[in-house]
Amino acid sequence: MDYRKTIAAIAAPVMAFGLLAGCGSNGGSGNEASRAADGGSGGGSPASAANSPGAGGAEFANKELNVAVFQGGYGREYWDTVAENFMKEYPGTKINITASPKIAELVRPKIVAGNPPDLMYIAGSDNTPILDGLIKDKALLDLTDVFGAATADGSQPLKDKILPGVLESRSMSPYGDGKIYLAPFNFGVMGLWYNKNLFDTKGIAPPKTWDELFALNDKAKENGRALFTYQGIYPGYLEEMIVPSIFSVGGQQALDQFYNYDSQFWKSDTFRQVWGLLEKIANEDNMLMKGTVALNHTQSQTAFMQGKAMFIPNGTWFEDEMKDAPREDGFQFGFLGVPAFKEGDPVKVMTNVEQIVIPAKAKNPELAKAFLKYLYTDESIKLNAEKSKAVMAVKGAPDLAKPYISETTYNVYKAVDSGMEAVSGSFKPVAKGSKYNPSDEVYKPISSIMNKQMSLDEYAAKLFTIYTDIDNELKQAQ
Amino acid sequence: MTMKLRRRAFIACCLLPGLVLFGLFKVYPTVQVFEKSFFQWTGIGDAPRYIGFKNYADLFRDDVFLLSLRNTGFLMLVVPVATLLVALVNASVLTRAKLKERALYRTVFFFPSVLSFVVIAILWSFIYHPTIGFLNAGLERIGLGQLAMAWLGDQRTVLWALAVTMVWQAAGYYMVMYMAGIDGIPPDLYEAASIDGATGFRQFMHITVPMLWEIIRITIVFSINGVLTISFIIVSVMTAGGPDRHSEVVMTYLYGQAFTNSNFGYAMAIGVFVFVVSLLLALLSNRLTERGES
Repeated sequence: MDYRKTIAAIAAPVMAFGLLAGCGSNGGSGNEASRAADGGSGGGSPASAANSPGAGGAEFANKELNVAVFQGGYGREYWDTVAENFMKEYPGTKINITASPKIAELVRPKIVAGNPPDLMYIAGSDNTPILDGLIKDKALLDLTDVFGAATADGSQPLKDKILPGVLESRSMSPYGDGKIYLAPFNFGVMGLWYNKNLFDTKGIAPPKTWDELFALNDKAKENGRALFTYQGIYPGYLEEMIVPSIFSVGGQQALDQFYNYDSQFWKSDTFRQVWGLLEKIANEDNMLMKGTVALNHTQSQTAFMQGKAMFIPNGTWFEDEMKDAPREDGFQFGFLGVPAFKEGDPVKVMTNVEQIVIPAKAKNPELAKAFLKYLYTDESIKLNAEKSKAVMAVKGAPDLAKPYISETTYNVYKAVDSGMEAVSGSFKPVAKGSKYNPSDEVYKPISSIMNKQMSLDEYAAKLFTIYTDIDNELKQAQ
Repeated sequence: MTMKLRRRAFIACCLLPGLVLFGLFKVYPTVQVFEKSFFQWTGIGDAPRYIGFKNYADLFRDDVFLLSLRNTGFLMLVVPVATLLVALVNASVLTRAKLKERALYRTVFFFPSVLSFVVIAILWSFIYHPTIGFLNAGLERIGLGQLAMAWLGDQRTVLWALAVTMVWQAAGYYMVMYMAGIDGIPPDLYEAASIDGATGFRQFMHITVPMLWEIIRITIVFSINGVLTISFIIVSVMTAGGPDRHSEVVMTYLYGQAFTNSNFGYAMAIGVFVFVVSLLLALLSNRLTERGES
């Protein structure tokens, strides 16, 4: 769910090249492999290996590691540097980094050929579907022991270092059996945004509840703008306010119903209240910015920054994504989070954590696990912040990253530490071969609600049938 | 004899690279599409599981697929007809009217054909932009502001809006083909007709169209197939299938099933179905436009 979506359009023609490139780089790394193996046996002096600190000194039968990483807004510099540091720490090892914005298409042919990279960092909505595929295929290596073991630079188990709740979440333990198959990496915070300058100069207090937010409609009108807009043709962005709201109203239980295809969810009061927000936005005057449904993410975000709307959902990448976009005078990013339903309830935010995996068929899982552990050292977290301006899903990471990230971004991360309640979750994997893509089924029809061409009852009936279907497919698959 | 044999061997050698490439990059993948459509396969990992015709049976119970099929059908019907009509009329006017600016118009009309589809899609998504777009601003300027709407955001207009973009993109290309064809029609036919007092319209109907008929037949097939490929890019960039899938076309749905839903076998079944349908359509249009042997 991010801004790299339109790239899908260009994907198909590029795919052919992707395949070719895949073959090419495969051959290349093969050559490097043999060279690395030579160098490893000849040059790696046993003395230096024994001297390496911590878990170092561990000998790896296979000293070569192929790593595939997503090269998006964060770049690849971190990966190149961290690999170098790792190789210094574990002499004789050789890490090959393959980076691409379309990393899924680069690794796909290798995975199909049964020759996957040893470790993959997959992010960006063009790429993450391949993870869903790997999860459906049960083709990932169990990483539970990595997080149970001591950290590379200390003695506490690694899992104590990760933000609470992340490892237990479905994004990391997809089968709900307590086993971790995906490792958390950078994390993003999502919610509603507003123009801080406008609120400060006009003396408007950021709303803490939905009632307060809707009451600002008059203020919005006074200032010549609509109350709300969103990334029209990608209604999936609305997840960023819907999911925290479900949690707000119905708690974890309702969220579980929603994510686990309990069709009763669509008859619940939680559904009524949360989707009622959307219905209200769609139906009341001046609430939804005119034409929103037809806009793509860039167009709607630009309109928001030009002062056409008061609020828009988006994530921590917002500022960086739109750094070249035109804006109204004095525009300042302000992060609101997702308002509560009841007075006094904490404001919520949605969080999303990027994932790193080791394929079950990886040639060198031992070294891959060692490298994965190494990524969670303080040194590496700092390096990631410095080179990628990103914050890892590790306790205290925002402060380690503070010197390198913008004030707005830092404040968003800190807000999560100080009072805002973080909500996250993801859909249970559907049965293999299912035609349904749950996120599409849930969010796409919202366009019709916004167009006033579908009532909440029709929507609920539709989703009820779909959830029943998905659930039946899952039961049959067992 | 040996001469003949050597000649044959030489020809075979010359053909071989082409045949190998053709087999490897055209025939083999096509066969794979058919084969994989009988399997349940995520497109990445484990061995595909044979499920016979289940993928095909599922197609007809999949509402989204049926909707996307209907949308594609709409575009396949509207776009070729409009494109060819516009192209034919333009070509005829430009060649017959002896306009001075003929070369200029030809270049201008052909221009969209050299633009990339992605560029065209982005361009038109700004033309249709609900607030700052050229179309709505234009309507407001001439006092028809009440007609302005979010063209790409409304299920009633989105397909028409996409169709206009696709016609705009293709009309110039076919126009140039027709102009070449018209230039090949002997001018004495037109001369004779005008001496007999035939109007420009009658000349168009009774000389231009019949003489171009073979070219028109081919362009119909081209145009129908063009819709399939172009619609993928246009839809992906301009609407992402929205609002609520009312502009989803089979190609975008196929892509989604294959690469975001990891349903490769099912996507291949969609591919085969589209292949068969477009083959049938091509045959049908060929048959319908066939003229009795004189």
